[in-house]
Amino acid sequence: MERTDNPSRAKILERIKAALSAPASPDVPQTYDPAFASVTDPIERFQRECSSNNTECVMTPSLAASADAISNVLSALPAGEIFVQDSLELRGMASAWTSHHIRWSSTVAEAGSTNKGPRETSQATITLAEALVALTGSVLVSAECGGRGAAFVAPVHIVVAKAGQLVPDLETAFARLKESGAAIRNSYLCLITGSSRTADIEKILVMGAHGPGRLVVTVALGTE
Amino acid sequence: MRKAAEEFLRDAATKSADLAHRQIIRQGIDKYNEAFERGRARFFNWEAARQRCSEIKWEAVNHLDRYLVEFEERVKARGGHVFWAENAEEARAYITDLARRRGIRTIVKSKSMVAEEIHLARALEKEGIKVYETDLGEFIVQLRNEPPYHIVTPAMHLTRADISALFKEKLGGIDTEDPPELVAAARRWLRQTFFAAEMGISGVNFLVADSGMIAITTNEGNADLGMSLPRIHVALAGIEKVIPRLEDLAILWPVLATAGTGQPITCYNSLIGGPRGLNETDGPDEFHVILLDNGRSELLADAEQREVLHCIRCGACLNACPVFRSVGGHTYGTTYQGPIGSVLTPHLRGLDEFQHLSYASSLCGACTDACPVKIDLHHHLLHNRRNAVNEAHRPWTERIGFTLWRWMTMSAGRFALGGSIGRATLRGVYALGLESTVLDPLRPWTKVRAAPHIPSKSFRALWRKGIGTN
Amino acid sequence: MNSVNRFSCDFCDHVQTFYATRRRESLPAAGDQKPAQYKMKVALFIPCFVDQLMPDVGLDTVRVLRRLGFEIDFPNEQTCCGQPAFNSGYWNDARPLAERFVRVFRSADTVVCPSGSCTTMVRNFYPELLSGTALRDEAVQLGKRMFEFSEFLVKVARRTDVGATFPHRVAYHDACHALRELRLKQEPREILRHVRGLELVEMQYSEDCCGFGGTFATKFNMISAAMGEAKTASAAAVHADYLTSTDPSCLLHIDGILRRQNSPVRTLHLANILARTEIASECTPQAAASENAR
Repeated sequence: MERTDNPSRAKILERIKAALSAPASPDVPQTYDPAFASVTDPIERFQRECSSNNTECVMTPSLAASADAISNVLSALPAGEIFVQDSLELRGMASAWTSHHIRWSSTVAEAGSTNKGPRETSQATITLAEALVALTGSVLVSAECGGRGAAFVAPVHIVVAKAGQLVPDLETAFARLKESGAAIRNSYLCLITGSSRTADIEKILVMGAHGPGRLVVTVALGTE
Repeated sequence: MRKAAEEFLRDAATKSADLAHRQIIRQGIDKYNEAFERGRARFFNWEAARQRCSEIKWEAVNHLDRYLVEFEERVKARGGHVFWAENAEEARAYITDLARRRGIRTIVKSKSMVAEEIHLARALEKEGIKVYETDLGEFIVQLRNEPPYHIVTPAMHLTRADISALFKEKLGGIDTEDPPELVAAARRWLRQTFFAAEMGISGVNFLVADSGMIAITTNEGNADLGMSLPRIHVALAGIEKVIPRLEDLAILWPVLATAGTGQPITCYNSLIGGPRGLNETDGPDEFHVILLDNGRSELLADAEQREVLHCIRCGACLNACPVFRSVGGHTYGTTYQGPIGSVLTPHLRGLDEFQHLSYASSLCGACTDACPVKIDLHHHLLHNRRNAVNEAHRPWTERIGFTLWRWMTMSAGRFALGGSIGRATLRGVYALGLESTVLDPLRPWTKVRAAPHIPSKSFRALWRKGIGTN
Repeated sequence: MNSVNRFSCDFCDHVQTFYATRRRESLPAAGDQKPAQYKMKVALFIPCFVDQLMPDVGLDTVRVLRRLGFEIDFPNEQTCCGQPAFNSGYWNDARPLAERFVRVFRSADTVVCPSGSCTTMVRNFYPELLSGTALRDEAVQLGKRMFEFSEFLVKVARRTDVGATFPHRVAYHDACHALRELRLKQEPREILRHVRGLELVEMQYSEDCCGFGGTFATKFNMISAAMGEAKTASAAAVHADYLTSTDPSCLLHIDGILRRQNSPVRTLHLANILARTEIASECTPQAAASENAR
């Protein structure tokens, strides 16, 4: 029998309301400087941040050139399967990726499973992105970009992006998300900044904890 | 004295004297401080950022009911469940109930202070369910069967040698002290668990009211694996974790990262709005958010200390605290350590039993300076002390002592006379070579430091005689 | 919310304006042959434990202020600012002390105190302790005209060179209240830099608490000692001859640790150093105290 009752809900809300009847002194909002200096050259800033956070950023003149750059990355990886987001653009680029067997995100899952995400044996995943953020050198992905696991399961995650997707800062990124409805359509979004890492051992930074040890972002300049 | 206080004193004495331990912690903190300084410099105006974050949390906490209800509505609209838990027991019961009904055998867990607070893992294990910590630091302390040492870096008290020995014993097939190899070993070992687990449990950094999404921050990506592979995702949050808008994260995420580790922003900042969407490739079938009260609504009613609920659990105050550096995280014996733990725990678990944490501070104020949401931490320690006195939790000897002290200091004559007598006594005691013995009135002082030189005349006496100031 | 930042800014402005006006009125006219007869008067608050255990700090504070031309008043009725009770949570016992303090110093134009923590108590905590009482506003005003010793020298007397000589290697410990509550960091250092022969060295972790913390020092002995040892290690690492600070309470504690360690490092309060006008090879508090007691 499903548990649908939650009597504590009313009790907690009542207590909260009663608690807030004693107002705390409000801090008068001050006029203050912005927290960050504005980003004047987003492309340059994005590249610089990527090299700080261990994202391999590859600028290319076109999606076709991006496809070739990705082909180079793949040919250096062990042979096997790669997981690719099933989108028109990526379908168009896939002919360049002959080194590996492609499993598309639309491939029907194994019997009894609802998980069409990348398999543990995947050598890499390739997805699109919602946006790129220059201030922090980040990639914003969503569930629509091949699913949640696409950004985490394989040791290499490759993102295919276009220069028009680059926004200067986080505020703009959130505004875009709201405008496009991506926050409503998707059950999952993730702002990725660099490759997976941990400093839990003696505060020494080690790359490649549970997520990918390598994040590659191809940016096709001169495209929308 | 209460048991918790006794244990604290005993552990504090042991750890303060442990030079090797102090050295390890010092090195860890030094690394953090360097990283933080670099991180702070990236801001155009760090103080402005702190102010903004403090305002966001003020708005959220002071309209808590509104924002929590908004959050809940939006989560439910997308097929998620929201359960309001009055206390630890209710929260545990909901989760164990759910796990039982769904036939869960294996759970992967990412970092959650609330899960620690309610002792969740133990309750699940009693049901025969295996719970695996996936954050590397938590994974390590789980293998050692000890609680986390620090809310952000749970294993900061261990050397690579310690961890290597641990992995060798518990995981097998590993013989290295190289940190990258140790990390790779943990990754390999946990991989099969991620794929086998039927439930993922996570904490929550922020509940975003206007979007009905929870925000989770990790560097490792472990939380995300735990909410893409298993079929059920359960997220635990204190009710105070709510923020009004999605765009508030534009400042909260960088500030949390900078204060927490000195990074410009943490590697993975995820937003989850529900179970797997209709056309989505993967993700859980079910999404449950547990909103835990457990004493928070009472703290909310305390208008003076309400801002303690603004805490974003960054750990900066722990790093700044000289007491934490001396005794380490385990000594506190509580879920929340360091200055925030000392301020908060009396409210969540009782002032009488946990007042000692508020007294175990020199009130240096480093925590208040460090707090990225500008909580007046060290002043709240003082407020807890005042409350302890006013609620009559202090020893009667101390109360009499201060009454006597007040009587003495309310009159210059009594003060001067009392001082003369005191000094004469001490001079006599020390002249007899009795410093630091049981007959030494200053023994609490002289146990660990030399007695001060006791002058024969006070300043006021010398002043009156016009001596020595020309 | 932490309001100290904003408070300090208002406070500095107030100080600059009020005292600049006062001093202009009191300086001798150009061309006067005789030295000015008018001396600015300051009242001295000597912390309770300085009065009883470290009178040399009080005496040297007076020496320095007199040398700079100030007239000193020591209101005899003073005892304690109330901080020990306040910090232990005994606000109902601290409150009458605070009210008494405000009355004792109500007629003083300026109060100087050789202790950052006592100055903090009055300026930063009396308003809260006395909130809702008749003396609260008066306490706020008193807080604006009471200064820690180095703060007074730099911001009111506008003297960073006080004519002192002390040819030794000196490290400065940033006492917590002076640093974080009064926001004093450069002021004591500026004064020390102008002392002839003095070599000022920066210790690592100079801003870390020394571990005194009032009753913390005895209630949590072992932690206090560990923090003190970290401080003495910092001083030893820079081979300081002397360790100084604005706060005698810190120095009492640090000195106790140093003596137990048989360390060659000695402690002296800022006032002790600034009072030295001739070259002296031995400047221990003991020597100073016995000299004063004669």
